[in-house]
Amino acid sequence: MVTSFKEVLKSDKFIITAEIGPVKGTNVQKMIDNIEILKDKVDALNVTDNQSAVMRYPSLGTCLLIKEQAGEPIFQITCRDRNRLSIQADLLFSFSRGIENVLCLTGDSLKMGDHPEAKPVYDIDSVQLIQLVHTLNSGKDLSDSSLDGGVSFCIGASATPSADPIEPQLIKYEKKLKAGIDFVQTQAVYDLDELKRFVSYSRNIDKSVKILAGIVLLVSAGMAKWMNENIPGIFVPQNLIDEMAKVPKGEGLSKGIEIAGDIIKKIKDEKICDGVHIMAIGKEEKVPDILKAAGILKV
Amino acid sequence: MIGQTKKPIKEILEYLDGKKRIIIYGCGGCATVFHTGGEPEVKEMADILTKNGKDVLAAISPPFGEFTCYAPWSKKRMASYKKQVNDCDAVLMLCCGDGLQVAREHILESEFGLTKSIYPATNPIGHMGGGPSLFREKCIQCGECELGKSSGICPMTQCAKGLLNGPCGGTRKDGKCEVNPDNDCAWVLIYKRLKELGELDKMREIMPPKDWSKMQRPRELEVEPLSLE
Repeated sequence: MVTSFKEVLKSDKFIITAEIGPVKGTNVQKMIDNIEILKDKVDALNVTDNQSAVMRYPSLGTCLLIKEQAGEPIFQITCRDRNRLSIQADLLFSFSRGIENVLCLTGDSLKMGDHPEAKPVYDIDSVQLIQLVHTLNSGKDLSDSSLDGGVSFCIGASATPSADPIEPQLIKYEKKLKAGIDFVQTQAVYDLDELKRFVSYSRNIDKSVKILAGIVLLVSAGMAKWMNENIPGIFVPQNLIDEMAKVPKGEGLSKGIEIAGDIIKKIKDEKICDGVHIMAIGKEEKVPDILKAAGILKV
Repeated sequence: MIGQTKKPIKEILEYLDGKKRIIIYGCGGCATVFHTGGEPEVKEMADILTKNGKDVLAAISPPFGEFTCYAPWSKKRMASYKKQVNDCDAVLMLCCGDGLQVAREHILESEFGLTKSIYPATNPIGHMGGGPSLFREKCIQCGECELGKSSGICPMTQCAKGLLNGPCGGTRKDGKCEVNPDNDCAWVLIYKRLKELGELDKMREIMPPKDWSKMQRPRELEVEPLSLE
């Protein structure tokens, strides 16, 4: 990852990012190993921020580990655990240490996580967060005071191409586009027609925004069914669940890698969108295998 | 109204441990509606405390409509209980935290000049509307009402995350909320209403960060006193 993510976004390259989920604790060696495996095979490593509202090693700290390993991090920042002061302070620190990409998210509800009794913040929301980063980029903070040493962040957002009803989600996404983003990563998509509809909607409003399709690695039919029932915005079609169910025990992961590879290959070959964001939750070391299955990484 | 539930008796008895002579004071307002401090609950509490060895010096239940949190009313109500208050070890309030603190400040301290223990018997859980049986929290008293921009549905109260610019990515199938699947996603409801009203453009406007300084506590208001005659 010698090229900055900002430069990658400007190019015509098929963009690949992968997610790094921080550990619960200080034993960061596994993360360092995963960073080492992935940093030269993807364009950026995207670090979750107390993912699923479960307290973990910080997103910012993990981004720093990636920088130390000469990788390109994307700092995921949610509005759940910080007020506007804390968000701005973290962004200043981030930029001062060379972490120049930020993904602006609302944040999963605390009720979903391991500290359900905590006080949620949501002082600002994801649209306002995007605007906040632009304000910092302009050399000012939210109180209109000048910064002594500014920032120049590359700004990302998330989107949900599959929801019922979809319109409120699209209006929210439209506001993110209006606020100004450089890239968007979608919730996991398995239905490429749905992805195509989203891409067309997005490009009709703003052609310049790079769209990365979310790819979640399936490891079993059970996981696919569980996601369908429990994760809003994710829909794994029945044919993929059947495919996963057919494989002998112990081979679910290989099948999942094959499916993810197929989806990525189709997206790339048919030029459906600009790239993919791979979420191999807990199986980050398998991302190279997914890229091999997609024909992107030579075997 | 201030929604409220009864505290467990165990917790109340722990507060009253070592206190023998008790005054019970209910409320003819919200606590009557929520069955936490109306006449039947005041009576019930008096029985429970008596059974637990307490001397109930007075069990006061104001008539429906008489709010304990309104100092002119509670002063009037309590005027004839000065002796009992003087003799008591503790006052147990069957009302919300407003009522309790008004009784403490305006009656016990200002009116009677007494420093007495005072304890809550309810857990207030928000500014609620609806009824007569089901009540829902409707307003967080943010200090700057946004209902005019959101079709009369408050996103700060109805959305579990209080988001101002549309739904989070967690809307469930059929427009239900990620946090509480029994609830409709506030932003799906707002969307549907704005669409019906032909005002969807309101949803497309980016709402700036909320000015939470308007919720800087404690807030206060000075108004022209009402004539109670």
